[in-house]
Amino acid sequence: MNQPTVSLADVSTYLPGEPVGADYYAQFAGSDDLAANLMFRAPKFRHHVGPDETAIDMVERAAQGLIERHGHDVIANVDVLITHTQVPDMGFYGEGGGIAHRLGLRPSWVLDLNNGGCAAFVLALKVARQLLSSGQGRTALIAVTANAAGHVFDQAGVRRKAQSAVPGDGAAVGLVTLSDQSPILDIECRTYGEYAGDMVLASDPPRKWWAAGNSELSIGFTETKITKVLARGNQQVPEVALAVCDRIGMSSKDIDLLVTNQPNRVFLRNWREALEVPESRHLDTFDKCGNLFGAGIPINLDHAISDGQVKAGDLVMMAAFAHAGDFAGAAAVRWGGRS
Amino acid sequence: MSLAALEDIAVHSGTTHPIEGVVRIETSPLEETAPMFMAKMRSVYPHDEVFGQYCTVNDYVDCPPDELFEYLAHTRSLEEWTYTLRDFTETEEPGLWLAYDRLLPDTEIYTRTVANAEARTVDYHCAWDQGKHLWMIYLMRVLDAQVVLGKPGSVVLWTNCRHPFYDANPYPEAGPAERTGWVGDFWDIFGAGHGLELNNLKSIAEYRHRNGLPITPDWMSTS
Repeated sequence: MNQPTVSLADVSTYLPGEPVGADYYAQFAGSDDLAANLMFRAPKFRHHVGPDETAIDMVERAAQGLIERHGHDVIANVDVLITHTQVPDMGFYGEGGGIAHRLGLRPSWVLDLNNGGCAAFVLALKVARQLLSSGQGRTALIAVTANAAGHVFDQAGVRRKAQSAVPGDGAAVGLVTLSDQSPILDIECRTYGEYAGDMVLASDPPRKWWAAGNSELSIGFTETKITKVLARGNQQVPEVALAVCDRIGMSSKDIDLLVTNQPNRVFLRNWREALEVPESRHLDTFDKCGNLFGAGIPINLDHAISDGQVKAGDLVMMAAFAHAGDFAGAAAVRWGGRS
Repeated sequence: MSLAALEDIAVHSGTTHPIEGVVRIETSPLEETAPMFMAKMRSVYPHDEVFGQYCTVNDYVDCPPDELFEYLAHTRSLEEWTYTLRDFTETEEPGLWLAYDRLLPDTEIYTRTVANAEARTVDYHCAWDQGKHLWMIYLMRVLDAQVVLGKPGSVVLWTNCRHPFYDANPYPEAGPAERTGWVGDFWDIFGAGHGLELNNLKSIAEYRHRNGLPITPDWMSTS
């Protein structure tokens, strides 16, 4: 018996506050070996989560678009809630329960996916598709939050580093349903556990993230480590996307819209080169939003839909890699339009 | 005594500024150069950039380097591991061998092998159709894998350079009149073709080594 078709029915998103310009960082810039590194070349703008704005607040705001278009009942009746929060406001138990409560949901499944990183939306799609197609419900909601820019990277010491101008904050929700409206054609997720330790939280003096101390925590990078991450990302994202293309019997040239994570401009260039997708069909929001981490794919997709850059019948390929290359995923959807 | 690096050029040019194209850490610190390095890292590279002017293939071979070198130094090893070169016979000129390249009909190929045991380099100087001007040069080097990879065996490096004759046959009268194709027509698949042949070499040498057979078979070393 064929499995029932599962669709990515819609996405809606939220960017917190007014855009923060690159000059905001210029005033703090210290002497930094990485300042000239194009991996950290600043986007023109990004958004910052407010100091007291929680991940749950961001998801609630991101969900408004879905509620406006589909009614609150569609949200209220979700059976599966899958969340990914970059910086959980409460580290021990994540945000899933709080998000369910805030949105007025009583889902039978609530899952936090901390490992997905920048590919969290793809991983969540895979989990949602599996649960719905195996009879665990009719509707799933995916909620992804990127909130490190305004919290972690805007600390007084950390924002002096070149890397701090690159992240941006935003949140997105995706509505996944048992239907053939915008079928998810296939998904590939791969874990490269050997790289899991290569992204570190650095502080001077060193301390555990949960331990007392005055030192600020930031993401640890060295020039050599960046090179390795660049090489991994260059390879992994095209590989998972091509694996999906192979299985659905399409060529990468058939991709009508490519949406990826957007760590920097070099990755964006390299991925579309590898997939032979012209820039006009690879939509990013890097200059407006910076590196949106896991929220990048759904926010870029939302912009493409709203701007009319993807139309009913188009093949949408989402692809990303996470952290220092410990996870990558790609998902293909035949977009059916916003109903 | 101070180091004299580039001193002659400084004297000649009358300045300590670097000459165009020279990037050294004294005048281009890593913080400035690293972005250029990273921008050059791609997911994919154009075929012409990789195989346009030079064609290089390399591989590891599980076989002792001196034995592999000795085998390669025999021109007639080409009879075994190449895809198309067959029926080697030595010409009247010592060291110059005639064979047939079965890529195209009735095509003679002449080969003279220049080998250096100390450096383990084996250069096959070849040409289609005539043996006077050997301009197709297959440059090979066998490395001790213990030194470069930290394990027993060999690494084979193999490069061809795109001599202008690949694009225009210099001696059209030397080939069969009815032949329309030319060796240089295949330049763009040299990477794939040489990769296949290197894999042949690897498979043959590793089989012999694994099974205790001489890497150079008796017929090649005695006749």
